[in-house]
Amino acid sequence: MKTPDIRLRMLLAALLPVLLLSVLLSSVFLATRFEDITEAYQLRTRAVARQLALISEFGLFAANRIQLQTLVRGALREPDVRWVAILDQQGQMLASAGDVQAGALPPISTLQEQAFLDRELHDVLTQPVFATDLKLDDLYEDTRQGNAGRAAPLGLVVLKFSRQSLNAQKRDILLLGGLISALGLLFGAVLAVKLSAGVIRPMMRVSHLIERIGHGDFAAAAQVQAQTHLNDPLRDLQQNLFQMADRLANVQRDLELQVATVTHALREKKEEAEQATHAKSRFLAAASHDLRQPVHALGMFVARLAQLSHDATTRHLIDKLNDSVLAMQNLLDGLLDISRLEAKAIQIKLESLPLADLFERLALDLVPLAQDKGLRLRFRSSQVWVKSDPALLYRILLNLVGNALRYTETGGVLVACRRISGADQVAIEVWDTGMGIAPEHQEAVFKEFYQVDNPARQRSQGMGLGLNIVQRSCQLLNHPLQLVSHQGVGTRFRLTVPQAAPQAQSAVLPVADASEPLDWRHCTVLVIEDDDLVRQALVGLLESWDMTVAEASSLARANQLLGEGVRPNLLISDYCLSDAPNGIMVIAQLRQRLAYPVPSCLISGDTDPELIRAAQTAQLSLLHKPVRPAKLRNLLRHLMRAQTVPDGVDRS
Amino acid sequence: MIQRLHGILVWLALCLSGLQTQAQGIKVHIVSSQASAPYLDAAQALIKGLSSHGVARSEIQVMSLADFSNVSPVALPTGKVWVALGTQAAAALAKAQLRGASVLSALIPGSGFERVLRQSGRQASAQFNAIYLDQPLQRQLVLIRLALPRAKRVAVLWGPESWNRADTLRTLANTHGLVLRDARLKVESDLFAALQSVLDGSDVLLAQADPLVFNSSSIQNILMTSIRDKVPLVAFSPAYVRAGALLAIYSTPTQVGTQAARWVLDVLAQRTLPEQAMAPDDFEISVNLEVARVLNLPLDAGQLQLSLKRLEQP
Repeated sequence: MKTPDIRLRMLLAALLPVLLLSVLLSSVFLATRFEDITEAYQLRTRAVARQLALISEFGLFAANRIQLQTLVRGALREPDVRWVAILDQQGQMLASAGDVQAGALPPISTLQEQAFLDRELHDVLTQPVFATDLKLDDLYEDTRQGNAGRAAPLGLVVLKFSRQSLNAQKRDILLLGGLISALGLLFGAVLAVKLSAGVIRPMMRVSHLIERIGHGDFAAAAQVQAQTHLNDPLRDLQQNLFQMADRLANVQRDLELQVATVTHALREKKEEAEQATHAKSRFLAAASHDLRQPVHALGMFVARLAQLSHDATTRHLIDKLNDSVLAMQNLLDGLLDISRLEAKAIQIKLESLPLADLFERLALDLVPLAQDKGLRLRFRSSQVWVKSDPALLYRILLNLVGNALRYTETGGVLVACRRISGADQVAIEVWDTGMGIAPEHQEAVFKEFYQVDNPARQRSQGMGLGLNIVQRSCQLLNHPLQLVSHQGVGTRFRLTVPQAAPQAQSAVLPVADASEPLDWRHCTVLVIEDDDLVRQALVGLLESWDMTVAEASSLARANQLLGEGVRPNLLISDYCLSDAPNGIMVIAQLRQRLAYPVPSCLISGDTDPELIRAAQTAQLSLLHKPVRPAKLRNLLRHLMRAQTVPDGVDRS
Repeated sequence: MIQRLHGILVWLALCLSGLQTQAQGIKVHIVSSQASAPYLDAAQALIKGLSSHGVARSEIQVMSLADFSNVSPVALPTGKVWVALGTQAAAALAKAQLRGASVLSALIPGSGFERVLRQSGRQASAQFNAIYLDQPLQRQLVLIRLALPRAKRVAVLWGPESWNRADTLRTLANTHGLVLRDARLKVESDLFAALQSVLDGSDVLLAQADPLVFNSSSIQNILMTSIRDKVPLVAFSPAYVRAGALLAIYSTPTQVGTQAARWVLDVLAQRTLPEQAMAPDDFEISVNLEVARVLNLPLDAGQLQLSLKRLEQP
């Protein structure tokens, strides 16, 4: 829009004066010419009339009709004359000639010296004919004093003229004037275009240059500079522009250099940080893996030990030992949960479930803990149903309520739910009367291993992983989580969950089915584990459950056992084995050899997300070390009953 | 212009010289209708003629018609002779009561004097007489005989003021062996028809002064008609010759003034004026040589004048 605007303005600025001048001059010229030719026409017609009057004087004097007829015919040959007549003193027509149609005579008095009548395109001229007055300067004239004054006219000459040729002439002049104006305008336009181009072109070049510079194309200045002529009217402006572009280009180069330098430094820092993170992760993973093996074995040994009969002192020691093992296992479980959430290895199963059931189970799990602490844990239940993943939602609430109980010393914890009016959603709220969280910590409490006021990292105050797991789970489920806390008053967590229509059958929660007994005596388990200690602990535990256990430290040994005729109903394999790539392949080979899909599960001390995904792909149940004996027992029962593996991932 | 200025100066000189001698007895009063050249010429010739015969300049008073009209009738000077130059002056003097004075009108056509007489109820007498501008009919016919010897038929157009001379002319024409073809014009519009009728078969058109027939408006067409019919016009004024007439016979103002001076001297010498109006004694002839050439008439004005005067001598 800018380009035509400038051009149009320049063109108008140059053309308007030319147009005005042209119109003015043409108007003056035409007006003058019209006046001239009209005057000339009037003079000519009057001259014709006078001439005819003059030459018809004697004819009128002599009443010579023949002569007068000759005269009127002659007058008719004059241009524009349409009709001619000569009348005598009495108004009697002596001679006439011309177009009969044009012969209608207007009412003209014969005494009228001149009558100039416009009638359509005709002018009627009348000219009285007087006898020529000869000045005699005679003494006899003195006697004629009484007759002084002009004598009566001899007659009257009437001519009718057509204005057609006059109008045609005017038309021609008008056309000529129009043509001259148009030519003048055209010439002016061409001149204006030519002259304005000399200004506009550099302006456009400068405008374009500025636009290109605006887009960062500083090289354009050098290109345009090469095209600039010495007589360019905007040369100075362009020179200044080139200098400006040059300086800008330099500044930009400097800036880019600086940015590149800083970016490079940042990248190095980032890489360093990433390397450090990787190193830390590797360290943690290794440490975790290495920790899991003994803790796993320890847990199973303690479980085995607890099954034996002891005296009271030993029992007490075993209980304490068990507590320590549990705490260690909880820590490792938390780390495992975070690993799985990070790996997005959790598949969400959205179902409709009644909150009342969920609350009931929470109460079952947590009321004893509250009572131990002397706190009141209340659930304000409701008949409302929600749409969520039952296991994850249970885990979230378990963490939130557990957290609330942990940080509340007096008072109690309230778990309530209410419908949010206007939206099909339910708010599940966990209130406590604890110490509260200071505003500056309210964001940080969701970070891993973050604990407010626990620099000594008291184990009783948890590991600082619960809220992180809660937040990650909420994000996964798309359940908004809000925290409102006042220091010294208490804290409220609000979880917003979509409401669901009530259904006849409630979703089955993965509740540990410990009450249902199973006869394990006909069950043969093949355990493949290269760690002797762990293998011994696991074998001991399984045998304590009346299972027949065949143990192998490697794939080769397992094959050998199969060769010896061992036919296991279950396969339990460690993931990391010395003579095989991994446990998945070991199970696959053994299943192939056995020629049927033996129910199998993997046990691994590694929390690597890749491993979790691989197990999912292979549709194998994966237990992470340390495996709690109860959980192992549940899984084995489940596998035995299903005979197939419905879900690849342990979701408990 | 210079001529006009000269005339005014002469007129002033004449009037002033008359005023100087007003106290003394004035014998001759000259009243002029106009201050134009012919009247001045006539007045000068008159004064010159009187002066040359012993009349003192102081005894001659020249006044304009306006001056005369402004003078109370009772205060009119009592000169012996009053000379009126022009028709209007004659009419004014005719109305005035000039006891015992003789009034001589000059530079006046016969038709004009007769009109004055009619209007004033007077008759031509020794106390109120005139020298006509019109040439005697006899002289005119003789001139035709001299100039156009072959002419037999003379065309004449009469108007109301000239008609009374028709019979006289007809008689005289006969005596000269000429045939008069004349017509009387009553209205101007009949001019062409009348002219056409008289010109038909005529040899010469003799113009007789009459305002209805011969005037500045009609002369052009009369001349054109006559020339077209190849009938030459013999007129009564040099102006007609200039306009296209073949010849004219007339008396100049000087000739008239000189003739008037002689009659004034007669009156001053205790003689009386004639009872009848007088014809001009002296005359001149003008010839339009161009028209003469066209008509193939070898005319010489001087020769004609001489011949005519010789013929008139007793």
